[in-house]
Amino acid sequence: MDDSIAIHIKGLIKSYGHVQALRGVDLEVKQGEIFGFLGPNGAGKTTTIRCMLDLIRPQGGTLRVLGYDPQVDHVAIRVRSGYIPGELQLDENMTGQGALTYFDSLRGGIVDWGYVNGLAERLKVDLKRPIRNLSHGNKQKIGVIQGLMHRPELLLLDEPTLGLDPLMQQEVLRLLREARADGATVFFSSHIINEVESLAERVAIIRQGIVAEIVEVVALQERALRRVQIRFSIPVDYQPILQLPEVKLLGKDDQTGLLLQVIGEMDQLIKTLANYPVADLETQRPSLEEIFLAYYKNDQEEI
Amino acid sequence: MVTVFRYTMKRFRGQIIGWGIGLFLLGLLLVSLFDEFAGQTEALNELLAVYPEEFTAFFGDFTNLGTPEGWLGIEFFSYMPLVLGIFPILAGTGLLVSDEESGRLDLILGHPVTRSALLFGRLFAFIASSILICLIAWVGLVVPMFWSTMDADIGELLLPFVSLEAEVILFGAIAILLSLSLPSRRVAAMTAGIILVASFFITGFAQITDVLEGAAQFSPLTYYQSTDAMQGLNFNWLAGLLGVAIIFILFSWWLFQRREIRVGGEGGWNLTNLLPRRHEAEVNERP
Repeated sequence: MDDSIAIHIKGLIKSYGHVQALRGVDLEVKQGEIFGFLGPNGAGKTTTIRCMLDLIRPQGGTLRVLGYDPQVDHVAIRVRSGYIPGELQLDENMTGQGALTYFDSLRGGIVDWGYVNGLAERLKVDLKRPIRNLSHGNKQKIGVIQGLMHRPELLLLDEPTLGLDPLMQQEVLRLLREARADGATVFFSSHIINEVESLAERVAIIRQGIVAEIVEVVALQERALRRVQIRFSIPVDYQPILQLPEVKLLGKDDQTGLLLQVIGEMDQLIKTLANYPVADLETQRPSLEEIFLAYYKNDQEEI
Repeated sequence: MVTVFRYTMKRFRGQIIGWGIGLFLLGLLLVSLFDEFAGQTEALNELLAVYPEEFTAFFGDFTNLGTPEGWLGIEFFSYMPLVLGIFPILAGTGLLVSDEESGRLDLILGHPVTRSALLFGRLFAFIASSILICLIAWVGLVVPMFWSTMDADIGELLLPFVSLEAEVILFGAIAILLSLSLPSRRVAAMTAGIILVASFFITGFAQITDVLEGAAQFSPLTYYQSTDAMQGLNFNWLAGLLGVAIIFILFSWWLFQRREIRVGGEGGWNLTNLLPRRHEAEVNERP
């Protein structure tokens, strides 16, 4: 396998009884990239990540993580990776410090505690407090720290910002960007579109156990629809605008206002508008949420 | 494995202290009471003569109540497997599955620890904890001998604890195996508890009726020696108990290696797996 590939998945199949969680997942994650794994609840995100760590075993397909087969070399994968589970549970009888010391011991005591304390400071969590006294968000911060504290070369993160307030979400995203800058590969699942949009370079959209598409985030956004709102300074004949092939009329306000849907590039529309007295022009880029919902809507229709 | 052992010992700390203090105080009380009862052997024998045969079958020969072996055998060791048996059942069923049901096992196994290291690190911690509990209980019997007339050999007094420890290990192994075979820790603990109580009754009743003799051969408590061990341990029985425990542990290890770690919660019986799998065809038809 190519050394530049951190994760290689081909035809991954996993069932729980009669429920088919994965129906042939295919994806490749390059070393050093931030890869988003986007899908609704039950799409197979967690199942895929847990297969990578050999917590569960697929019934079919090929899976290689850092060149290793998880079912053969799971310890080698775990040594070189950091994992944040989607449903993080910690020993309530320990303090944050105690839990992190335990996880460090499992790794052979390799952690730089100065770095750990720095992470705790940035995430504003008191490691001395018993975990049972921590809020859900603070427990999640402990989870983030345990995933990052040994500076792994691969981060496998299942909804890493779950339960964090927006400021802390941003801080975690910053930490992940820093990890990437240090050479780590980040594979994270999420159903928060803005998070994926702001962090990932490429994204796989999974639905019903199959990866529907893997695209660059930028390309995904650009390929999608835009809404354009135009206000003219005087009433105009806008028929020539509506005749452009990539334009569709969504709404109008007398002869001074238009709401258009534009597919693809804006070039033709802008050149045409140059002949009009445009008072204001506003474009709205669709969020990934809209794109995602479009996929999911199709799913529902198929069902 | 050392880290797992060390941290599991920390988790057992409360149980070691709880069980240890309880059994220490019980021993202290019973040995202290020995003097009072030993002086009234005749009156006691008259009283015990009216006790039903079934009663003596469970608790031993009451005519020896005036001897240290008889007193400790009846008042302490006769029911100790039933009492201390609760510890291996709770500890064994919780050894791996309580972490799985609470969702913690997912994170622990996300770190570089093998399933074998996790199982055996925790198993050895459980065995070490049960040995410590037995030792504290033994000290509870030995300490009051300094002011009591009971003059049992303290070295020989360890031998019934060896037999007891073998039973504890066996029930721990049964509990671990059941926890990995049945859908939940609750069901496993209940089943192991039923086995323990059934074993106690089968072994007891087998002494007064031939009907249960065959069943008693498969009852773990048949091979428990109580104070008889002070006259010499039955190494065949001991090896048998530990041998079966090792087989159960190896089978548990095999099951744990193949286990699908749950994210949390209790499992199911997976009875639906017995039904035809409709999705197979759909998978195969995918391009």
